[in-house]
Amino acid sequence: MGKKKKKMSSTKTVFERAGTVDVEKGYKITKVGVKKRRYTVTFILVLVVVAAAIYFIYPPQESTKLGLDLRGGTRVILTAKDITGEGITEEKMAKAVGIIESRIDSLGISEPEINRVIGSGSIIIQMPNITDPQAAIDIIGKTAQLEFRIVEGINDDGSYKLGPVLMTGDMLKGAQAGYDNSGKVIVSMEFTSEGQQKFYEVTSANVGKNLAIVLDNKVESAPVIQAAIRGNAVIENIDTLEEAKSIALVLKTGALPMTFDVEDVRVIGSTLGPDSLTAGLYAGLIGIALVIIFMIIYYRGLGMVAFFSLIVYIVLFWGLLVWIKAALTLPGIAGMILTIGMAVDANIIVYERMKEEIRKGRLPRTAMTEGFRHGWRTILDANVTTLITAGILFYFGTGPIRGFALTLSLGVIISMLTAFIFTRALLELVIDRKIFEKPGFIGARKLVADK
Amino acid sequence: MRIINFVGYRKWWYLLSGVVIVAGMISFGFRGLNLGIDFKGGNLFEIEFEKPLTVHEIRGSLEKIGFGDAIIQQVGTADHYVIKTNLLTKEQKEKVKGELQQLEAKKFLRDESVTPKFGQKLTWDAVKALGISLIAILIYITIRFEFRIAVAAIIELIHDTLVFIGIYSISFREVTTSTVAAYLTILGYSLMDSIVIFDRIRENKNVLRKLPFDEVVNSSINQTLARSINTTLATLIPVICLLVIGGDTLKDFAFALTIGVLSGAYSSIFNGSQIIVSWNRVSPKYKVSSK
Repeated sequence: MGKKKKKMSSTKTVFERAGTVDVEKGYKITKVGVKKRRYTVTFILVLVVVAAAIYFIYPPQESTKLGLDLRGGTRVILTAKDITGEGITEEKMAKAVGIIESRIDSLGISEPEINRVIGSGSIIIQMPNITDPQAAIDIIGKTAQLEFRIVEGINDDGSYKLGPVLMTGDMLKGAQAGYDNSGKVIVSMEFTSEGQQKFYEVTSANVGKNLAIVLDNKVESAPVIQAAIRGNAVIENIDTLEEAKSIALVLKTGALPMTFDVEDVRVIGSTLGPDSLTAGLYAGLIGIALVIIFMIIYYRGLGMVAFFSLIVYIVLFWGLLVWIKAALTLPGIAGMILTIGMAVDANIIVYERMKEEIRKGRLPRTAMTEGFRHGWRTILDANVTTLITAGILFYFGTGPIRGFALTLSLGVIISMLTAFIFTRALLELVIDRKIFEKPGFIGARKLVADK
Repeated sequence: MRIINFVGYRKWWYLLSGVVIVAGMISFGFRGLNLGIDFKGGNLFEIEFEKPLTVHEIRGSLEKIGFGDAIIQQVGTADHYVIKTNLLTKEQKEKVKGELQQLEAKKFLRDESVTPKFGQKLTWDAVKALGISLIAILIYITIRFEFRIAVAAIIELIHDTLVFIGIYSISFREVTTSTVAAYLTILGYSLMDSIVIFDRIRENKNVLRKLPFDEVVNSSINQTLARSINTTLATLIPVICLLVIGGDTLKDFAFALTIGVLSGAYSSIFNGSQIIVSWNRVSPKYKVSSK
């Protein structure tokens, strides 16, 4: 085994020897000095970034945005149904999202989140703290297609035979629930000026006939037109004020350009989330502590370096999540916990290489340079595959799964950066200390004897 | 350092993998997977009752209103249940919830409904994600390493997938979208292990040109063994913490991650690089023996 490196190491040996002399005699050759200064600067810069991250995070309860599964609430996925055959266009979807937003706004739901699923007709609506969402879903998902049509007769089954659509809800300026003079619940509709004109034309041409007010293919009322009307219209025959209010709300916010199916409803009670969060946090903390203990037992001094690196990684990772306002979800926690192993892996790869080099009789500094030189390519290749799958997961996933993929990708990237920048700088600064020459200090027991 | 002869025993490693996979596939053939409502569609309630109840009592109540076929699972304590039904209409759901209130449901922790159509879309998305991941990985490894190694990596991933499906079928744990996410992550992670070994083979191949390929691979595995074991431990420790003390959802994740990490570590050491050796024997690209 020992001989395999010979060819490659010939150039290195010169450098190694030069390094040895410098260190042992305490000379400060300019090149080494400059390098040292560079790593000191890097080290301090990283600490500044870490401090900034801590500043961002503190206080953690307020800064960290929790996902629905952790704080409780409702997630609804609506998917457009293409019944007209015109296709689900980008334009219609954008309009639908706008209308849904204003409906949710009118309902007074706080901190809602409305997102489209890329490349599909689905809309994801998240409503924190809402745990009885049926009423809200009924309103949000209502198509609210309002039509005015003349009644042309009565069908055999007692339903109205309706004429062509004369006016639609897009000519409405507003709608309001209330009571009429006799105390009946009504929704009064106010037209735009164009709508008033149109309504006048329609009513004047049809005096004496019944004008049906149709909402989502259901005739709400069909009063007789007594005379041409220039003003506003009223929907009657409503059972409760509540119902009138929802009708007014959907009319005011406009009709959705397509019909939507409620495909997925998740209600998470408000106690389940915090319990899971606590459990996840404990698991994470204990896990990190055990990993650190393991690293210190196995790699001794290098383990301490890994310890600091891991802490830096976690702080930076968390800080970044807070900074980009990524919501912490259960899958996200799982992703974070998995990245602990990946972050430590970068250290392990470099350390194992260092130990190998030291067993071959190299000095700690050379061993470290070699460790990083070989290690960085391995680490990069190994992490890119994870990034590939995480990227694909992000693209195809819905809701929390995307959170998971995002957390994972960020974790992988930060862990690599931490290893290449912070771990490297820290090791560069401490590696020349005499104690690193003791093989036991880096957990390499058998060592030079091998050679 | 002691050199362990991984390559020499490769037929045994294949056999072990084969046994686990065949057992899993038999189970899969007979009872399939316990698919959650994410994939099948349906309603799910997670409820905390005021008092302990038995599955029998709950089923009795639901039977009265015609939902005796619901899946009823106790979660942790005897007052905590998950109930799954086929997709309910608004009225049916009110009826079921009303009946559960009668049983003194204290809190509805979860109340979910998914249409079967949406479930199918999720399933299809998962399959698509898997297929695209595999192709992307194949291309990446071919570019960075070589085609044979890429094929070995893909076989490894298929191995991990079959082990994963098999264990989910045998344990009959519920498969949810989270399970799929965890699985896809593990694909990437499992490759990390293999790539470290492949990377060493790539490096050693040039240095140890005189040695037969079997030995190159075997020393590569040995040289990276400490790293493989330590990284697996460092990943497993927190994941197992999650498995032991995490909540239900986190436990599901952790379970999937645990299988994935173990199967991934195994296939990296005992399958992936062995496949390249076997392949090299059948159609030599590198030196086969020292003679």
